[in-house]
Amino acid sequence: MKGPAPVAVTGLGCCCGAGADLQECLATLFDDRRLPAAPTLFRTDHAVRYPVFQAPLAEPEQAELLRTSRLALTAAAEALADAGWSVEALRGLRVGVCLGTSIGSTISDEGFCRQLRAGSRPPLRPMQRILDSNPARTLARKFSCSGPCQTIVNACSSGSDAVGIAASWIRAGLCDLVLAGGADELGRVTYNGFSALMITDPEPVKPFDKNRKGLNLGEGAGMLVLESAALQQRQSRRARRGFVLGYGSSCDAHHLTAPHPQGLGLKRALREALQSSALAPAELAFVNAHGTGTPDNDRVESRVLHELLPEVPFLSTKGYTGHALGAAGAIEAVFTLACLQQGRIPASAGFAQPDPELPAAPVTATTTFAGIAALSQSLAFGGNNAVLALGRGEP
Amino acid sequence: MKCDLAIAGLGPVGAFGCGREALLAALADGRSPVGTTSLATPAGPVELPAFLADTASLERFVARRELRRIDHFSRMALLGAFLALEDAGMLGMERSRLGLVIASGYGAMRTTFTFLDSVFSGGDALASPTPFSNSVHNAAAAHVSMLLRAIGPSLTVSQFEMSVPSALLSAALWLVEERVDAVLFGGVDECGELLHYCWQRFFPAAGEARMQPLDFQRQSAVAGEGAAFMVLTRAADTIRPYARIRQVAQGNGAGVQPPLPQDAVLFLGADGHHRCGAAYGGLPAAAALAAYAPLYGSLPVGPAFDLTLAALSCRQGRLFPGPPGSCRGFDGAGETLAGRSICCLKYGSEGDYGLIRVES
Repeated sequence: MKGPAPVAVTGLGCCCGAGADLQECLATLFDDRRLPAAPTLFRTDHAVRYPVFQAPLAEPEQAELLRTSRLALTAAAEALADAGWSVEALRGLRVGVCLGTSIGSTISDEGFCRQLRAGSRPPLRPMQRILDSNPARTLARKFSCSGPCQTIVNACSSGSDAVGIAASWIRAGLCDLVLAGGADELGRVTYNGFSALMITDPEPVKPFDKNRKGLNLGEGAGMLVLESAALQQRQSRRARRGFVLGYGSSCDAHHLTAPHPQGLGLKRALREALQSSALAPAELAFVNAHGTGTPDNDRVESRVLHELLPEVPFLSTKGYTGHALGAAGAIEAVFTLACLQQGRIPASAGFAQPDPELPAAPVTATTTFAGIAALSQSLAFGGNNAVLALGRGEP
Repeated sequence: MKCDLAIAGLGPVGAFGCGREALLAALADGRSPVGTTSLATPAGPVELPAFLADTASLERFVARRELRRIDHFSRMALLGAFLALEDAGMLGMERSRLGLVIASGYGAMRTTFTFLDSVFSGGDALASPTPFSNSVHNAAAAHVSMLLRAIGPSLTVSQFEMSVPSALLSAALWLVEERVDAVLFGGVDECGELLHYCWQRFFPAAGEARMQPLDFQRQSAVAGEGAAFMVLTRAADTIRPYARIRQVAQGNGAGVQPPLPQDAVLFLGADGHHRCGAAYGGLPAAAALAAYAPLYGSLPVGPAFDLTLAALSCRQGRLFPGPPGSCRGFDGAGETLAGRSICCLKYGSEGDYGLIRVES
């Protein structure tokens, strides 16, 4: 493996169940507010209406793009503005787009398929909308990006993987700038799917708590602007918000939906992230855990963190956002960088009662620190594990 | 991105059959069998020609009972993966440093529809968990990882017709960065009811069973399904590879054109869709080019098949004639490659492109 090479992050954007932009999201996190509610974007006939975290993005009657892509555009616009880039200024640069999603790449529309199954000839508009809405392609089109374009569909680790791979593009000299992140929308398919798997909590999610019952779905987008050192030197703009220091990923090869009980894949990913960033555990200020609130996920993560990083405080931010699937890793990377800048992390929302089965517990109050690096980790269906090592930027 | 990667094993699965020899036989015949898919409508079944893949031979590698809950999409990927590893002589290898990268334009569409069916028939409360978990885009990668015990990094990319060049970029970087020692790389897509319906509505003239990919103005695409997998390694570590991948490039619109070497032979991703035809029509008239889609059909991951064919050409040092009307600038009948590189070139519908350059 090649040695460490930090990649600068110059802009951040976020739109999710915690707020319409990063500033709103951070206020939600540090005010310890939680905003889950019954879904309003779609109907459901479940006896229990599992709460969700809906992003404050209006739903037009005739949307030309999928909500996932509109969330991505919202967060990307914020991130580019944060970095001081206009669309015009990007022209002539090698700009790549690397984006994670789950629902955003699914070729299905329930209404369309229902009509087809009923034997009618549904109009093609919903399918055309899907074909027009590939998330990475949408951003490339909107911002006239001429570089590589990749939509990663690694389920719930997609957003983390996208940031890690985007950093590789910069290091390899493929791009001057990469829009990296993740986006995903709430919808009936995932709502019914996770309900069928019986891993949803009928109450607000309680990551790492003794009484946790499962996840709450969320939606949103997190976006980072990554820039090459050469571009930074040529066109110095805003202060660097932080750095992607390293990345690790590994597959459990164990089960389609459950993590490896000993977290073997997560441990490999975590070690690779530390090795690629040349960070020692003692240098970590905190870990932003995946922390979905499902019994299996939280048990495995707690054990792995206790074994490998026993002294490092950790939290889950899903108590504020719900689980935004393919966007989760990117949203959490944005939060991790913002918290590194502020030198504090919020309480791990939803955690109240320690679980004797879990050897480690998250922070219960806003916690300050002096460290300059942190990890953000994601676990996913398919046994995927991805860990980002992130560094503090300039104040 | 300039690189020096080796293609060490091939695992193609399609209407032509499965494995390298089946593809070579189809090349020699100049054709693959065309089947039909059927869509039930109130006016009776509507049939469309399609290049369909059979995965029965997967049982050579995996016990039938282990395949019970694995759908057609993942079976195609599994078969391609096993064949590629077998071809590379790596079936028995230790797999902790094996990466897995899968490209798919549409994912497991049939299983997604099956999941929706469970909601249509039983309501929200009776949604079925098995098709839901198998409909996730990386389900094929998960099955491949589990059955091969491949614990390295795993990546699934879905970028419609640019899925293969985009995913290959990541596979190449993993090898260059020395994150892994080998990558099992493949593309997979499937036909199904939903695709069938969209196909006949988007392309009302569809119905011909003969593709004419070099007639760029004509809509002659025939839907296809299959998987094309390969084992990639660093060239310096590989003895007698099929071919070396020297460049992977991807660009998007904005008037950016791919960097084409002057004497390269072009394997076009042209697959009978006139929407993309204009871009191919702009290539130099003197260019030696071929389009092999009539062997595997029109599917988003077609460039994975083109890369497979390029690897076979490099191994044999000659160009294959392919189906009638699919070559230009060379007759193909035994014409040697003579040191030329092969560029697999795919254009999207919005000026986007993917380019993979290979050499012997």
